[in-house]
Amino acid sequence: MARSGSSLGSWQWQRIVRNMFPLLVVLSGIVLIAGITLEDAEELLNEYGLLAVMVPTMVGMGGNLGAILSARLSTRFHLGMTELDPRDRDLWANILAILALAATVFTAQAVGAYIIGFFIGSSLGLGTLLFISLVSGMSLAVIAIVFSFAATYVSYQLGIDPDDTTIPIVTNVVDVFGMIIFIGVSGLVLGF
Amino acid sequence: MSVREDIWKIYRESLPILFVALGGGLFSGIVLEGLTDSVERFPGLLVMVPVFLATRGNVYGALGGRISTGLHQGLIDPEFEYDERLVNAVIASLVNGIGISIFIGFLTWLVLSVLPGWEAAQLVELVGIMFFAGFLTSFLMIVGLLGIIFAGFNYGYDPDNLVGPIVTTLGDIFGMLFMILSVWLVGVLL
Repeated sequence: MARSGSSLGSWQWQRIVRNMFPLLVVLSGIVLIAGITLEDAEELLNEYGLLAVMVPTMVGMGGNLGAILSARLSTRFHLGMTELDPRDRDLWANILAILALAATVFTAQAVGAYIIGFFIGSSLGLGTLLFISLVSGMSLAVIAIVFSFAATYVSYQLGIDPDDTTIPIVTNVVDVFGMIIFIGVSGLVLGF
Repeated sequence: MSVREDIWKIYRESLPILFVALGGGLFSGIVLEGLTDSVERFPGLLVMVPVFLATRGNVYGALGGRISTGLHQGLIDPEFEYDERLVNAVIASLVNGIGISIFIGFLTWLVLSVLPGWEAAQLVELVGIMFFAGFLTSFLMIVGLLGIIFAGFNYGYDPDNLVGPIVTTLGDIFGMLFMILSVWLVGVLL
């Protein structure tokens, strides 16, 4: 048994659990803030059910955008391009692409939610949905960009592979911001 | 390449994946809208939703990443057959996925009981909902994730590009569906 265990190396299940479970506990604690924000907004969600439809995307999409950028940045660092020069055109291309993706996806989300609204009966107009989705979404994209840069840079400085810890932490922290911003913007727009 | 061409390339490569995630997110949002009616009965239910969905991504994103690296390195074969590495990776994801779900139920109950002005459902109710939801989602995620990664790999797709969108979409949709099922189940049983 001991021999087969050692030949498995990093694939041994006890070892995977031991390495990962503590990180999962920390991440759950972080995302719990998003959960409390959501439960606190229960009245708002009961009044405007369509907002609940948008919640999973608002929570997940910032993390997705951050993950795309972090993966590209960490590849850059692995390839030896470790300078973050504000005149670097390649960096700006990455940032502008993320912002363009965010604008597209969050516009599509508002339109999708508007169509779903016909089926579940909603009083929210397309203009209101676009405003809420784009203001929250673009703010979130900026936060995702800032955190991705900071995390990739810090983990490179500390010699940690970003894939192991940095990306999960960044995506979960950005999830929390997504929820707080979305509920905050919705509350302001709808006067709650 | 000009900056404009660079932007267009990144945009074009990433947009389909994000649209898949958007579709999954909106569908699970419809399920969540149905779940908000049960909050009166189980206070703390909405607290667990984002945490539960996030851990699906964390646990099965890690499993997918590991399998995809294993396939690239030739350490595992893209088939459903007994393989010690594959079995260990799957057991680890089951222990992590179900274990952290139980922990989420406990943590939610603890935090809401301590915070002034908040109320929580009974510990056994919150943990029960998370246990059933975590248990059912884990089995479906493992079979779905491995099936799609193996099929994709055999057809010549890079599994690295498949893992993210599969995990997000399957996790969102089935995480919410199994959560609503678990709420019903716990309501009937307890």
